[in-house]
Amino acid sequence: MLAHALHRLATGAVTLLGVSLCTFALLQLTPADPLGERPATGPGLSPQQIESLRQLYHLDRPLHERYLRWLGDVLRADLGRSLYDRRPVAQKIAERLPLTLTLNTLALALAVGLAVPLGAAAALRPGSAWDLATSAAALALYSVPVFWAGVLLQWVLSARLGWFPLYGLEPVGWGGAGLERLAARAHHLVLPVLCLAYGGVAYLSRFVRNTLAESVRGEAVRAARARGASWWRVLSRHAFRQAAVPMLTLAGFVLPGLLAGSVIVETIFALPGLGRLFVDAVFQRDLPVVLALTLISGTATLLGILAADLAYGVLDPRASRGSPR
Amino acid sequence: MARRDRRRLPGNLGAGLWMLALLGALALAAPWIATPQPWVVVRADGWQWFPEAPAEEGARWILRAPIPYAPGEVDLDAVLRAPSAHHVLGTDGLGRDLAARLVHGGRVSLGVGLLTALLALAVGLPLGAAAGYFGGWVDAGVSRAVEALLCFPGLVLALALLTISPPPLQELPDALRLASILAVAGWIPVARYARGEFLRLRSSEMAMAARAAGAGHLRVLVRHVLPSALAPVLVSASFTVAHAILLESALSFLGLGVQPPTPTWGRLLKEAWTHIETAWWLALFPGLALFLSVFACNLIAEGCRDWLDPKAGAP
Repeated sequence: MLAHALHRLATGAVTLLGVSLCTFALLQLTPADPLGERPATGPGLSPQQIESLRQLYHLDRPLHERYLRWLGDVLRADLGRSLYDRRPVAQKIAERLPLTLTLNTLALALAVGLAVPLGAAAALRPGSAWDLATSAAALALYSVPVFWAGVLLQWVLSARLGWFPLYGLEPVGWGGAGLERLAARAHHLVLPVLCLAYGGVAYLSRFVRNTLAESVRGEAVRAARARGASWWRVLSRHAFRQAAVPMLTLAGFVLPGLLAGSVIVETIFALPGLGRLFVDAVFQRDLPVVLALTLISGTATLLGILAADLAYGVLDPRASRGSPR
Repeated sequence: MARRDRRRLPGNLGAGLWMLALLGALALAAPWIATPQPWVVVRADGWQWFPEAPAEEGARWILRAPIPYAPGEVDLDAVLRAPSAHHVLGTDGLGRDLAARLVHGGRVSLGVGLLTALLALAVGLPLGAAAGYFGGWVDAGVSRAVEALLCFPGLVLALALLTISPPPLQELPDALRLASILAVAGWIPVARYARGEFLRLRSSEMAMAARAAGAGHLRVLVRHVLPSALAPVLVSASFTVAHAILLESALSFLGLGVQPPTPTWGRLLKEAWTHIETAWWLALFPGLALFLSVFACNLIAEGCRDWLDPKAGAP
């Protein structure tokens, strides 16, 4: 098992290097030329900005040295300064991070919380009306664009029914504090979390259904049923235990979708999170911020997948013996 | 388990193909379906196909297009009209006909989607095939690149590329530029599928027989392995179409896609968003069109997969 973990960590490190190389390659594609051949007339860049980019990315050095220096800066959490307001990028990201993390954690929890019972109910009776209906609904839901869902939710639940605020994190110019403030924020976050979670519900519920249906057909479950155990006991003691392992791996793969979803959801609902920061930076052509966030999203996804993989190895000893999955 | 019947398409595949064909036909025919120009004008001295506008005077009978408006036709007397007989799907904040903008918008959304899938196939299929077939260093290189790129969410990668807008891409027309940017993430699933298939078929009896008969690598790859590997790869390509349509619309929705006068479904939704409290039709119909085309692509992909490998999906 230790060998498996070490192997996964080693390949993970190689992939992490690949992620950093991809980001670095993006940087090398910038038209802001190192030697100023594309002068200050470049899109929206002043000579000072070009100078600061040149210093930040060591553009006067040869390629390999540039990469190593850039990597060294990144590892020291020195992501440069924003071209827009000259503040350190790391600081800008740190202020926005808690909101996006909250949003994504809530969405992931909601997605798993809904998907597991829905999928389990379908798996118990494969081919039943409920199974076919949830299966079709999941496929349909999976095809609904996030921004359409967001606009529709705003139209029906906010504009028509007035149940939830249209956007923002709390009422404008509002001075509430403590519990009251927490309640207001929670109220504002209901629609964004729904919006972020429904894709995961659709995806995960089908996955739960398929893995559970497989383990329900398996010998452990048949034996337990033959001993007279109730369906509930069979499900909780046997089927879920087998299905939990692949589900865990999947949670790692839902991460990139959630991060991309935050970009859209935070824009629709005007929430000051990382996604909003990213979109603003794209519009401001704020290269250091865009690249830092690209690198962070790639690294976060990789770590998510890696963590899921390591947990998989712990929970399912077969995986560590290198049997094909 | 039911035996595979190759002559009958599964229901979802058929439904998806029909939906996509219908949407595609509407988008292709948009310049003729949504145009102020009349189709036929009958006058006292004969009749004319697609006459110029002034020819309408003195006409006895006129056959108009089903949506007799141009997508950019501003009519400030008919701002934010709900769906009615005059404007089937209503009008937007500048009095432009939503139906006309919708069918024209499909040209961009579906076009970019298909173009992205073609580019993704052109890059992903050879790379994945080489990785699977030759193994060794080629495989290691391609697989590491795939794993690294897989970590970036498609939208994040597209937004970063748009910010940077590499010089070679700046010269391209809008649709092709967007498709190339989307294909940077789009080739990955195609390459993964292709790699798996070629790896599996490399040691098949068919490939070994061909090699024993003296065929070169290229011949074995193209003539013997490719035909068997193509179908699963096309499944992944049709997921790529769905994904590309979604991403293109997301970029348009954010205001970063194809440049303004051209309507796209994403832009229509962005415009709808500013009228969300008054004009529901602006948000409903473009989203529906988008949903149906993505749904159709997903149905096709799922249907193909069930058809090729009945074990994978349905119980």
